[in-house]
Amino acid sequence: MSVLDRKLGRELRQHLGLLLAVTSIIAVGVMCLVTLGSSYCNLRDAKQLYYAQCQMADFSIELKKVPVAELLFFRDWPEVAAIRPRIQQYVAVDLAGVEEPLNGLVLSLPDRRGPIIDDIVLREGSYFTDRRDNEVIVNDAFAKHHRLHPGQWIKLLINNQQQELFVVGTAISSEYVYLLGAGTITPDPKRFGVFYLKQTYAEEVFDFKGSANQVLGRLSAGGRGNVKEILRRAEQRLEPYGVFTTTPLDDQMSNKFLTQEIQGLKSFAVITPVMFLAVAALVLNVLLTRLAQQQRTVIGTLKAMGYSNFQVFWHFLKFGLAVGVGGGLLGCIGGWFLASGMTTLYRSFYQFAKFENYFHANIHLIGIAVSVLCAVAGSLHGTRQVLRLKPAEAMRPKPPRVGGAILLERIGWFWRRLGSGWRMVLRNLIRSRFRTWAGIFAAAMGSSVLVNSFMMQKAIFYFIDFQFEEILRSDYDLTFKDEHGRDVVHEVELLPGVHRVEPLLDVACNFTHGRYRKKGGITGLTPNATMTVPRDQNERAISVPAYGLAFSGQLAEALHLKRGDWVGFEPIKGQRRIRHVPVAEISDSYFGTSVYADIRYLSRLIGEEYAVSGVQVATDRNPKNRRAFLRRLKQLSGLQSVAGRSDMRKTLEETVIETQSYVIILLVLFAGIMFFGSIINASLVSLAERQRELATLRVLGYGPWQIGGLLFRESIVTTLAGTILGMPLGYLLTVTTAESYASDMFRLPILITPDIWIGTLTCAVFFAVITQLLVQRSIHKMEWLDALKVQE
Amino acid sequence: MNSSTPSSDLLQLRLERVSKVFRMGEVAVEALRDVSLEVRAGTFLVMVGPSGSGKTTLLNIAGGLDSVTEGRVWFGGREMTAFDAAEMTRYRRETVGFIFQFYNLVPNLTARENVMVSTELSDNPMDVAEALRLVGLEEREDHFPSQLSGGEQQRVSIARALAKNPTLLLCDEPTGALDFETGKRVLRLLVDVKNQLGKTVILITHNSAIAQVADRVIRLRSGEIIERHDNPRPLPPEEVVW
Repeated sequence: MSVLDRKLGRELRQHLGLLLAVTSIIAVGVMCLVTLGSSYCNLRDAKQLYYAQCQMADFSIELKKVPVAELLFFRDWPEVAAIRPRIQQYVAVDLAGVEEPLNGLVLSLPDRRGPIIDDIVLREGSYFTDRRDNEVIVNDAFAKHHRLHPGQWIKLLINNQQQELFVVGTAISSEYVYLLGAGTITPDPKRFGVFYLKQTYAEEVFDFKGSANQVLGRLSAGGRGNVKEILRRAEQRLEPYGVFTTTPLDDQMSNKFLTQEIQGLKSFAVITPVMFLAVAALVLNVLLTRLAQQQRTVIGTLKAMGYSNFQVFWHFLKFGLAVGVGGGLLGCIGGWFLASGMTTLYRSFYQFAKFENYFHANIHLIGIAVSVLCAVAGSLHGTRQVLRLKPAEAMRPKPPRVGGAILLERIGWFWRRLGSGWRMVLRNLIRSRFRTWAGIFAAAMGSSVLVNSFMMQKAIFYFIDFQFEEILRSDYDLTFKDEHGRDVVHEVELLPGVHRVEPLLDVACNFTHGRYRKKGGITGLTPNATMTVPRDQNERAISVPAYGLAFSGQLAEALHLKRGDWVGFEPIKGQRRIRHVPVAEISDSYFGTSVYADIRYLSRLIGEEYAVSGVQVATDRNPKNRRAFLRRLKQLSGLQSVAGRSDMRKTLEETVIETQSYVIILLVLFAGIMFFGSIINASLVSLAERQRELATLRVLGYGPWQIGGLLFRESIVTTLAGTILGMPLGYLLTVTTAESYASDMFRLPILITPDIWIGTLTCAVFFAVITQLLVQRSIHKMEWLDALKVQE
Repeated sequence: MNSSTPSSDLLQLRLERVSKVFRMGEVAVEALRDVSLEVRAGTFLVMVGPSGSGKTTLLNIAGGLDSVTEGRVWFGGREMTAFDAAEMTRYRRETVGFIFQFYNLVPNLTARENVMVSTELSDNPMDVAEALRLVGLEEREDHFPSQLSGGEQQRVSIARALAKNPTLLLCDEPTGALDFETGKRVLRLLVDVKNQLGKTVILITHNSAIAQVADRVIRLRSGEIIERHDNPRPLPPEEVVW
């Protein structure tokens, strides 16, 4: 080891505290990169592997009923590699010991195992046997929640008849990585499960002999880029069999959520580390500038002895490199653990055949490289300044800093009101321009992270409150398999514990406006509906127009519609005639893209007098009466699904809010590190630089707290300025986050309330005060008399 | 001491009409005015002058630490004023040993390590222990500068300068920060270096008494040489009084 390296080692130990502060900022940046990057790769790879393993369908076509023999034409389409017809039906699940009816989706599978599209991966038990027809394979998450195991029997309400089924196994499938029931945005395996039945048995119980109501397909390499056109042709060809929807993989619900998450991770794996590493580079810059200035004479001497500029530069660069490598390594280790935590967290949302936290060497290498680069960038400016000096100049004491009046002094009335302390503080801030800007930048980044965290938290709480208090106010929503007349409302009113029932008519349709086309649906409501209350963009309740549609703002935007425009409406069931209807109102919702209409008006649009596809129910709050209601629901035939508002809300809170809380705690902690690292660095550098000046003040009678007060004023001015500047940045960051996660299913509101700003400022001041206490320790420990003798 | 005394007649360093102006903001300070000087190999040259007379500037230019504003400088027949940065670094590395008034030791390195800073650079260095023995500090080699007295620190600085076997030893007020006795001991060391190792020594001081140990004396004032004379019988440092 060269003697200069020994010097380096001792200096690193000497500045350990400060270096740890900078290292921790770098480490957090790298940690974000490694965590998000690894999670991105883990999810992406798990998805690819799983999709390949299960032969994930590239498209699906949902129809009323099609004879399998009528699908042979696909063989002549070179773009379509393979298809699989299957039967899918929503069913009610009657589990012993569970009061309420649960929702299920039945899918048919070949009686004997073979390679198929949208295959399953068995978790427990076996595939179907020849022993009985009524065997069922249950979705693993649902089975786990209800402690169902092979060998047990379960009851499903199939085609209005209760069927007892023998569980042979539990399984997962790539089409349900994110297992969503109808109308939800978070998986709720407690209330929704997928049940696989033998093809022959399903054909029998659903009366689908030789027929199917869903076609799954995989495309050949040539067809991949052309899926829309293929589906359009398929839809035309299958029109006589009542095509409801065609769904390319991109629109498949589970895939959509998963892909969106993967994309989100990818963009945040870039944004967040960049913010932290930029701050780290600046803070390191301040530190190394100081170090180089402090070692002017040493640098001069080394150069006088014949060390070349490069040798001296390399020596100082190693200082930065040590920080970079240290921060990088710490970040990689921390990132690996956090990615492992993220993987565990994701496992509670996503079901994969194999989902592990792998060591992605490339990401770790990028992490180290980026942190080293940031450290080198941070070291360049500081050392270059001193290196540029000729040795003789470097050995002369540094000339006093350029003095003179600062711009603020020209504002006489303001300047005159300031005490000498504030004057010193302001002059110092302006004269140490680079350090001040570095501090402001760090505080701005920290503040933007805080604003982002608080806004996201606020948005999620608000989103849930708004949806479940302002828009959906029923206790239960019942969806029927088929449409009924208005009598059904009366029938439900007669159930025990029911207070009020309001009818709903959901019509899935395609909207067209000029060249714009979107899939969607219209919900028909009674004019005086109280359990679904559409709201306008200002959140005011709007009454359902008697004529025309109250259109979702988000959908209206996608279709380039405004109030008064006419939109093409083509129901996907029943008469598929395109009608043009006016947009009477623009409504707003964070959940789905709802379009509302008067139920009578909508019924007429689909050629009915008064059709009801579901009801909203307000029930008695008394648990006993509510239980009685749920028990009766279990026996109700023709029910497709039951959604309880409080259950939905609880699931949302449990999953989203809980997850978000971890993320927010982590982000606030990271922001704290950013504030802390930058403030402590700036304060200690300032303290070291002004030892003599501050020692003189001490001699003049200033106490240590007064000296600390001067430094605190500097850091609080920088911190507050940066925090305020960072607020709009945080807002922009939140808009970007919300946009990157916005989908047809839900979007997050952007809310600006005073408590977000107050919270951010409070946190910033809190971090500044905590840091100051540490700085104060150094002030108390400082040897004043020695400081007076310092040459500088 | 192994010596390689070059011929005393050999002209080693030549400054021709050198001027140096420092700019400090809007003020220009003329540190050297039209100075010409020749130094032969193996000379003990003392430059005397009050503060601000330009002696440190002259020494720095001779040592390749600073550039001239006007004029030319040669060392061993090569024009230093035409050197690029790399050549200047090589010159300092191979030719010059520097001794500073405030020692300029690296505070984080021990005495031995401070000498090693210099030996690690040289192709033909002296043994570190030998350099420290020469200055009588072999017992203190593991001490940090903060644990050494001023005289000891200056001796480390001399050992450091000598250890890389330079041709030219440049001393900037080497006794300026030392007490009388310690100062004389340091002077003795420098005279021995010149006599026994055959180095050329240029020493600057504001203390005229020290000039008595020199072979040649130059007096400076306000950036100009006002007097130059040879000293055929230099006094041994022990006899100098100030």
